[in-house]
Amino acid sequence: MNISLKWLKELIPYTVTPEKLGSLFTIHSQEVDSVEKLVDAEGLVIGYVQTCQPHPHANSLSVCKVDVGDAVLNIVCGAPNVAADQTVIVALPGARLPGGLKIEKTVIRDEASAGMICSLSELGIDYKYHHEDGIHVVRDALKPGTDALAALHLDDHVLSLDLTPNRADLLSMHGVAYDVAAMLDRPLELPNVSVEATGDQAVTIKTETPRCHSYYGRVLKSIVIKPSPQFMQARLIAAGIRPINNVVDITNYVMLETGQPLHAFDYDALNSDTIVVREAQAGETFVTLDDKTRTLHAGDILITNGREPVALGGVMGGADTEVTSETTSLLLEAAVFDAITVGKTSRRLDLRSESSLRFERKVDPEKTVYALDRATALFMEYAEAELVGDKGYFDHTASTDAPITLSLEKINSVLGGNYSAEHVDSILNRLHLPFSRNHHTYDIQPVSRRQDLITYQDIIEEIGRISGYDQLPNTLPNTVAQGGLSLKQNLRRRIRQALTGLGLDEAVTYSLQQEAHIERFSFNHETPIKVADPMTDLHAALIHTPLTGLYDVAKHNAARRQYDVNIFELGTCYTQAGEVERLGLLMTGSYHPYRWQRTPQTDFYTLKGVIEALLDGLGLPAPTYQPIEHNDLHPHQAASLLLEGEQIGFLGKVHPKMTSEDHLSDVYVAEIDVETLLKMSPEHATYKPLQKYPSVERDLALVCERSLPAETVLEAIKAQGGSQLVHLDVFDVYMGEHLSDDQKSLGLRLLFENPEKTLESKTVDTLIEKIVEHLHKTYGITRR
Amino acid sequence: MDLKNTLAELESKLTEALKQTEKLEKLQDIKAEYLGKKAELSLLMRHMKDLSAEERPVFGQTINAAKARFTELIELRREALEAQQLEARLHAEKIDVTLPGPNFRLGRPHVLNRIIMEIEDLFIGMGYTIKEGPEIESDEYNFEKLNLPKDHPARDMQDSFFITEDRLLRTHTSPVQVRTMLEQGGSQPVKIICPGKVYRRDEDDATHSHQFMQIEGLVVDTDTTMADLKGTLLTVARAMFGEHRNIRLRPSYFPFTEPSVEVDVTCFKCNGNGCGMCKHTGYIEILGAGMVNDFVLSASGYDPSIYQGFAFGMGVERIAMLKYGIDDIRHFYTNDIRFLKQFST
Repeated sequence: MNISLKWLKELIPYTVTPEKLGSLFTIHSQEVDSVEKLVDAEGLVIGYVQTCQPHPHANSLSVCKVDVGDAVLNIVCGAPNVAADQTVIVALPGARLPGGLKIEKTVIRDEASAGMICSLSELGIDYKYHHEDGIHVVRDALKPGTDALAALHLDDHVLSLDLTPNRADLLSMHGVAYDVAAMLDRPLELPNVSVEATGDQAVTIKTETPRCHSYYGRVLKSIVIKPSPQFMQARLIAAGIRPINNVVDITNYVMLETGQPLHAFDYDALNSDTIVVREAQAGETFVTLDDKTRTLHAGDILITNGREPVALGGVMGGADTEVTSETTSLLLEAAVFDAITVGKTSRRLDLRSESSLRFERKVDPEKTVYALDRATALFMEYAEAELVGDKGYFDHTASTDAPITLSLEKINSVLGGNYSAEHVDSILNRLHLPFSRNHHTYDIQPVSRRQDLITYQDIIEEIGRISGYDQLPNTLPNTVAQGGLSLKQNLRRRIRQALTGLGLDEAVTYSLQQEAHIERFSFNHETPIKVADPMTDLHAALIHTPLTGLYDVAKHNAARRQYDVNIFELGTCYTQAGEVERLGLLMTGSYHPYRWQRTPQTDFYTLKGVIEALLDGLGLPAPTYQPIEHNDLHPHQAASLLLEGEQIGFLGKVHPKMTSEDHLSDVYVAEIDVETLLKMSPEHATYKPLQKYPSVERDLALVCERSLPAETVLEAIKAQGGSQLVHLDVFDVYMGEHLSDDQKSLGLRLLFENPEKTLESKTVDTLIEKIVEHLHKTYGITRR
Repeated sequence: MDLKNTLAELESKLTEALKQTEKLEKLQDIKAEYLGKKAELSLLMRHMKDLSAEERPVFGQTINAAKARFTELIELRREALEAQQLEARLHAEKIDVTLPGPNFRLGRPHVLNRIIMEIEDLFIGMGYTIKEGPEIESDEYNFEKLNLPKDHPARDMQDSFFITEDRLLRTHTSPVQVRTMLEQGGSQPVKIICPGKVYRRDEDDATHSHQFMQIEGLVVDTDTTMADLKGTLLTVARAMFGEHRNIRLRPSYFPFTEPSVEVDVTCFKCNGNGCGMCKHTGYIEILGAGMVNDFVLSASGYDPSIYQGFAFGMGVERIAMLKYGIDDIRHFYTNDIRFLKQFST
């Protein structure tokens, strides 16, 4: 809602500057988007074109003698519509136009030019408000030399409000004036209106639907269609509405003033003395005044002349009864339509207008007659209207509700303030809210102009905002509670800390992805959950694994020549059974790259090392692995990840077919189920006393079949080594010369300890022999 | 021959020999040559028996002094050679100390999670619990229990991704508040913050994202006030944007709170004097808040005649964008490595 401050000042004489008013509005009422001059220019006067001759050296230019009051200036003008005997707007030498343009004395093609004759666009008034291509010709014969902006009522400021949907009252100048009155504690001066009905030509109004709460109609005759007065046009432009003619402008003007939308029918075209309001039938059609045929739904509100529809109630008039330049008589409508119905109809037909907006947010039923009378008076004044009878109407609007009861103690207990009864009295008075008070108990009477004030909390808000929230102290809640993170929240942080410590960056990706990508890297083959009406195919279905998004992150970075990507994401995944949290890891390029020394490329084991470091850091046992298959993973470089026999995730190399299609180098991914990690993580670490006796280390080089998984050998050694074998590691893997093609050699390091005594070399030798013998018998493994 | 002359001659021979020696190993040979059993000095001792009893001690002392002198000369040379050798080794070990080391680096928590953790820690310190809830919500929890019935115009403000007629991706984290209040059974005070992902039908551009993160807070007790809300939010604003910040509350509208306010913080770029960042108002909007609407308390099992509360909600992306001057909300979700790496721990 844009507010003309000149207009506002008429309703509530205030003295603060426009900027101050804007900041008060922001603090006490609604957010102000801007406070700007309607026309930001200086040095403009009214001029009278005495003569206008073609420029001797330029066909498209004219040379004018313009009377600007204290002088007659020679001005070269390029507008085709300039002519002698016009009253115009002149920018004098030294004038400043919007955008910083300075006007100076100049010579144009050998002709002196002292100033500029202006168009409205040059004054910063958008073309959409005037549709004038040339200079602006002032209709009234104003005195040359007078201040043009003042004379044309353009010396105004516009306050642009960003309204919240509850404050329907601020969609009217009256409502804004009430709020300013409360803020500044100043008296209101709203215009009084009284219309004396003469004649007996009345209309009959009937309704067949509860969706029209009231309807008032009045016939006006001998209308003269012409432009509306300049002040009205300027105010409409300030409010963002294009002036059309006196009839349309008056209905819009009164709507802006009161918040009550009005509609004017061409009474002759209406061809009836009766208005019947009814609900449309499904499929019924109606031609609106934009000449479009609208197909209606059951329940849309239709205004009819008793035979056929003439308007879509609260939304748009009909083409057949539109006011034209030929119109000589009107039926003026002021009605209250059901908010929800108007909202639905206008949304469905995409016909959002100033009028439907106001009905949708609820108009003040007590303003309906006022608006009808106010418009009638303006029609009589500016359209030569003749009143030929009283208004016809029906009115089913409910009377005002029961009072809202509220105690001073409650006000202070909710706000945390210490307001006195006198203060609250004064705020309620400033807001023009009728109330009675018994000691500290208030009975506040709801008013129809503030339909958002329904509960005691609404009243507390009024007291809080008009007093100013800056008046409240800054305190903290008295509620004492033990704060903290849950085990899961804590685990999440530990995972994040461990992985960033290992050098991985955390990513956050979209939950909604392409449906075709949901099965990527997913072992959950159920149908993905889809949104009913996606905005784009790119974000249509909910992910099963964070790897869907992480793979795209690798692609995004590779496309920008960022090849070393080591990332993870802790993300919600969405399954038919519910939401689960999974950890995704992705590594490609190199990990901790050396700059000028040889840098190893990340491989399967790099990722494995990262995962094992994470699990170790979380106090979990070492995982085991089993080969697995997935369409998107390398058939021989993928494994499931098991913790004490329970599967917690997988890792693998992304299938080279996929990475080469996406122009990526080798990419390794892993997924770990966070819920299972949570279940298995120990609550705290366990302490073991440090070893007192020296340990014995032995290296063992074993030759076995190449296909035999190392883990099988290690598990067998652990079983044979018993409790004295405390550590076992692979330090070398060799394939090649001196071994046959199907053989490999494993270099293992074994560490033995006994917590109770020094281990003798002999004891360890016996254990080693036992291990080697078992390996030989079971797997045909030999010592190298 | 005079003993003194003999010894002087030996010493000058030794000095010369040491001078010629550049290798440590050869010192051993020299030592044997001049101080060993067969050395000339040792042989001189044999003359002792030919001397008188008076002459013997003097003779012995002279020889012994020469021995000590020779030993010292050899040791001095050894030290010099050792020092030379060390010098040579160190020289050989010279490296270019300006060459870079391997690119070890700490990874970064995502900047959105970083902000969430900061805010969580701040509130944990004030006794708040962190609550989470499902992202796929029912219409009832996401809207209806929050005073947003089916035809409410404010539903437009958060146009949503529905999955079925009754289930949708939550448009805010407020349903977690409802769930927590229902869990508490209407008799326990509530003091929580709820971080999480939310979704709205916005076209992705520099300032809009169909997915974003929110943090909401809720306190419900018998004596929770708007002044408490103000004090709490001032604490947040100062923790996030610096201790000299101030806040202002101005009226707004949310269906789930009444009174409702928008909260602005004094511009941290111009300290409230007015600049391009705050559009010359001196203030920057950071969050929405208010006193919990009685409807919401009732719908969540709390008797509004006994309990009252405050709630607030902020967009994490907005906070991050303001705090770091990030110019495009899409950066948070495209995860360009060059972006991720900027937010050090």
